[in-house]
Amino acid sequence: MHPILARPGRLAAYIAIWVPLGGLLAALLGLQGVLRWMEAVVVAVPLSISYGFLSLSAWYVTGGSPVDRVGPVRVGVTAVVASFLSSAVWLLIARGWMGLVGAVGAWADVPAAFRPAAPTLFGFGFLLYLLAMAVSYLAAAFAVSRDAERKGLELQVLAREAELRALRAQIDPHFLFNSLQSISALTTVDPPAARRMCLLLADFLRETLALGARERIPLSSELTLVRRFLAVEQVRFGHRLVVDIDATGAEVCEVPPLLLQPLVENAVTHGVAHMVDGGTVRIRAERRVASLVVTVDNPCDADRPSGGGTGLGLRNVRARLESAYGSEAFVQAEETGGRFVVRMELPVPAPDQSAGHPGGNGS
Amino acid sequence: MDTPLRIVIVDDEALARAVVREYAEADTSVEIVADCANGFEAVKAVSELKPDLVLLDVQMPKLDGFEVLELLGRDQHVIFITAYDQYALKAFEVHAVDYLLKPFSADRFQEAIARARERLRAKTLVPVDEVIRAAKPRTGPAGRVLIRDGANVHVLPVDKIDYVEAQDDYVAFKSEGKQYLKDQTLSAVEEALDPARFVRIHRSFILNVDRISKVELYAKDSRMAILRDGTRLPVSRAGYARLSQLL
Repeated sequence: MHPILARPGRLAAYIAIWVPLGGLLAALLGLQGVLRWMEAVVVAVPLSISYGFLSLSAWYVTGGSPVDRVGPVRVGVTAVVASFLSSAVWLLIARGWMGLVGAVGAWADVPAAFRPAAPTLFGFGFLLYLLAMAVSYLAAAFAVSRDAERKGLELQVLAREAELRALRAQIDPHFLFNSLQSISALTTVDPPAARRMCLLLADFLRETLALGARERIPLSSELTLVRRFLAVEQVRFGHRLVVDIDATGAEVCEVPPLLLQPLVENAVTHGVAHMVDGGTVRIRAERRVASLVVTVDNPCDADRPSGGGTGLGLRNVRARLESAYGSEAFVQAEETGGRFVVRMELPVPAPDQSAGHPGGNGS
Repeated sequence: MDTPLRIVIVDDEALARAVVREYAEADTSVEIVADCANGFEAVKAVSELKPDLVLLDVQMPKLDGFEVLELLGRDQHVIFITAYDQYALKAFEVHAVDYLLKPFSADRFQEAIARARERLRAKTLVPVDEVIRAAKPRTGPAGRVLIRDGANVHVLPVDKIDYVEAQDDYVAFKSEGKQYLKDQTLSAVEEALDPARFVRIHRSFILNVDRISKVELYAKDSRMAILRDGTRLPVSRAGYARLSQLL
């Protein structure tokens, strides 16, 4: 759709521009002395407005040969040919208009007087059409850039939504239903424990949503979330699940939210849950000079049937680290000595830049 | 409601067992005969106590609910209990297997027990193989074979299998000089094992190709596979074709 014809207001404003242009044309004709001022205005303003409508076609001409695709020569040739043709059409319109004007008794000599001004009219029309085309090209370029900007924003929003969806999907339905089952059991066995469990679960869910919406969070917040998750699972697994976390000196490091949670969830559901006697989920975070090293490890059943499901959570973490830090971060997972160990390293600002920590620590 | 329904509860989570226990104890027509924290205990308890019904959690360490069912066989009535498992639920629906979704109410529990009682009376059997096939989408060839020997469960890693022999209604897994019988068809075994390592060399034999020492022509169209330990197994013509394709 033509951007000017699309809205009546725009069309009115556009036509209003052509009235002073008509005045300009009248001035040219008047200065040449071919017509009297009054006659010049009566002849030129309607002609100018008609040319305004004719020039609307420039939008389609420029649209047919976009600068970025057809090359400057063809654009130039197109512009000259189109301007020539439209100006020629304008001359025909002018001739028709003269016929009408000449029919009025007192103005019978106007057409004859006007005839020598035809080259002026042609040149004027030619230049105006070139101008209209230039404006069209500008308007198109402007629309394209605004479109690109809007698309960019849309993409950002989409990426964000996808991430949130992924985060929500990471909360395993098993975890929720099993937790509810535990609460259901506790309501008769140990009502205060049932209430504690409800609160733990609520805190965990609330924090997952709150943290997931942020760009970066301190490791300490992530660990708080992880501790809550493990506390809920400990109600379910009882003595089978032992937790051992040490992040001394690394708590202030900023990390993408919910980076550890899926790994810890894997450690429980694909590790400890498969051990008849359970085991320990061990989390270590250590700050190096310019990096943070985090390991999550858990016992695993050496002769479990193939096709465990740890892949998805790990892939997710890997993808998120890559999008956040590129090649500066990495994750690796390996099974050694009956334990499954996930180790990741990500860049953090050197300690002296942030708070002047003494570098490195023993544990 | 003459004799009480004797049930065994199997779940690795103590709290989950507590719920079932609570509901069952409130029902005088049900008697809990055992309460097991894993699949091995379950197989043992069921073998020794012969309950009418087993309430069986699907997700458990070492042996999951389906593996326990496979070991117990088609004569055992079960109600599966699961939190969330799309494949399992679909399989239960399709094959009309009773199940409970965690968390469940006392009413829902009663309903499941009543339905199980119906089935016990009607002697409706569970199509074990079909349920398991539908519930556990195969991710690859089996890495181990589970064999029930009375109250015990043997977990046999597939690379320890020398060969498998069909024996009447059973199949015999031969491993390190021992033999383990399982109530299964040789075709089902063939389907489960890795076709790159196990070949059906004969109507009655599946052979681990790593164990072959040589193949000798024995009579017209008839060959013998000689294993490293000296065992001689017949190889049919089709079996020989399959074997030479692999080697």
